[in-house]
Amino acid sequence: MHLLIESIGFGVASGSVLAMGSVGFTLQFGISNVLNLTYGGLMTLGAFLGLPLLGMGLNIWVTMALCGLMIGVVSVVFNRTLVSPLVRRGMQPFGLVVVTVSAGIVLEYVIVAVTGTSTQSYGNLSGATLHFLGFTLTSAQVVIILVTVGLMAGLHLLLTRTQLGRAMRATSSNRTLARSCGIATSRISDIAWFLSGTLCGMAGIGLAITLESFDFTLGSVFLVPMIAAAVLGGVGQPYGAMVGGLVVGIASQVSAAYWDPSYESVVAFAILVIMLLVRPRGLFGRNSSANKLVA
Amino acid sequence: MYLGTDLLAAWGLNLEFGVSGVANLAYIVVVAAGAYTYAILSLGPDTGNGGFQQYVLGIQLPFFVAVIAAAVVGAVVGVLIGVTGLKRIRQDYQAMVMLVISLMAATVIGADTGFLGGQPGLSLIPNPFSSLSPVTGDWVYVAMVAFACVVGYFVMRRFTGGPMGRALRAMRDDENAAAAMGFSVVKMRLLSQAVGGAFGGVSGALLVAFIGGWSPGAWAYVETLALLTAVIVGGMGNDFGVSLGTFVIAVLLLQGVQFLPQIPSHTGLTEALGWVVLGTLTIAFLVVRPQGVLKERRPIYRFLGRQATAAPDGDGAGSATAPPP
Repeated sequence: MHLLIESIGFGVASGSVLAMGSVGFTLQFGISNVLNLTYGGLMTLGAFLGLPLLGMGLNIWVTMALCGLMIGVVSVVFNRTLVSPLVRRGMQPFGLVVVTVSAGIVLEYVIVAVTGTSTQSYGNLSGATLHFLGFTLTSAQVVIILVTVGLMAGLHLLLTRTQLGRAMRATSSNRTLARSCGIATSRISDIAWFLSGTLCGMAGIGLAITLESFDFTLGSVFLVPMIAAAVLGGVGQPYGAMVGGLVVGIASQVSAAYWDPSYESVVAFAILVIMLLVRPRGLFGRNSSANKLVA
Repeated sequence: MYLGTDLLAAWGLNLEFGVSGVANLAYIVVVAAGAYTYAILSLGPDTGNGGFQQYVLGIQLPFFVAVIAAAVVGAVVGVLIGVTGLKRIRQDYQAMVMLVISLMAATVIGADTGFLGGQPGLSLIPNPFSSLSPVTGDWVYVAMVAFACVVGYFVMRRFTGGPMGRALRAMRDDENAAAAMGFSVVKMRLLSQAVGGAFGGVSGALLVAFIGGWSPGAWAYVETLALLTAVIVGGMGNDFGVSLGTFVIAVLLLQGVQFLPQIPSHTGLTEALGWVVLGTLTIAFLVVRPQGVLKERRPIYRFLGRQATAAPDGDGAGSATAPPP
């Protein structure tokens, strides 16, 4: 029982990083209808950008915010220069997947060319260990959970309480109709790419903190649980991805505690496969552009 | 040598991706499956070399039997991967799933040392010509791979150039229309996965018998991209173009960089730059010339006059159908 509670605690911690990442992934997809598989590469870039910033003596949480913003900008630039011109030319979805995968690989190996293949680390940032209600978490993990909760609450308010959020949801559910209602959909797209990149960069730093050491494959390996979480919640559904992230995080940590830890990501994969076979729309699949994935 | 095995694999991928339009980003998994099949069927009992590695079967079959088994396993794995595409999900979604399969397969195999050698992989895989002197053996092997390529090209031409190839192209360009013409889309897609998988399996077996070792690091998901680049650069759906692409990409770019002088302070820099160039090339081709260096030949359009040739050419990345809203 103790082991169960403890692993649930770890699951919540890793699930919140996962939720951050998969919400970013799914938000951008829901609005621009492009599967961005460069996401893993961007996440790695975020983690690596954190290194020099930390080296300059910045606080880790300031670094996290800065990296998030930088990756957000990179993400918008990527959309503007490469993705949206191709979409406008009518490139098929599969061509776009190849383009984003290739871009991810280019990014990954540019990082290798600059830093080499060696393992990097931010050093030990976990801080004091906290015990409460049977959970054992480091203070860094607690901060990450709080940051995630804050971001998700902020995103919820943005989507439901502001004009911008309403425009974003309208674009997501029907782009053409939204445009004819006078919504500047390409600007909404840019904002979605920016938010997605920001979450991606912050998740990259969060992941680097929790894993304590990482190398250039960080993002592409983490892509599996992120996609699983996004699919579980229904691709294109931010709320679904929040829940999906938590479920996948807890499921893989609990299984790691009772079973072989090297199979941790297999659980995520199993969830993904079951979801695809049983309910490809995801648990919360509702009326959005993502539903057109399934004919 | 590498040209030969890469050629077989690239033709297989071209059949799946270029001709039938199945977005297989997990293609390297069938190559790996073929390689492992050959390895475990030919390694012999695991006490044979000091028992320092474990593997499942411990039997030693003749070379050709093992290669054929690799082809069969490649086909089966190809079909299994293809089953994910049976649910009618959108192309890019399917491709994402395939990418995940590829990442996962490497993790699972790497995690368990008892099954297929785990992360360190399998080594000391026997070479069929080890009784000859090293140099002669290598050349005999190269000759054999070249022969396999000739046979493979012939088989592939018969397949893609014949009625079946036309049916597959029709399916790629417009699935609903092909189904309306009475073709079973599911059956054809799985068939192309099986044939493509068999090509991949043979390619893996021939490769592993030559290099003698195989581990998850040898089939990272980026390797699929190398083959995909070869297909895209050479020209999707054009077997000869794909051969050309394979030569330029797989051989000059990925093997060639190993002969460049290494910069001592940055080991692995040249390889990394090789991948950067590769990825950039894929993007550049998809942006500038999606049909590749050599365009897919479509002789049938000549009989239909100008109207048909003006129709959008569905070379995969070009637009055969209207863009999604």
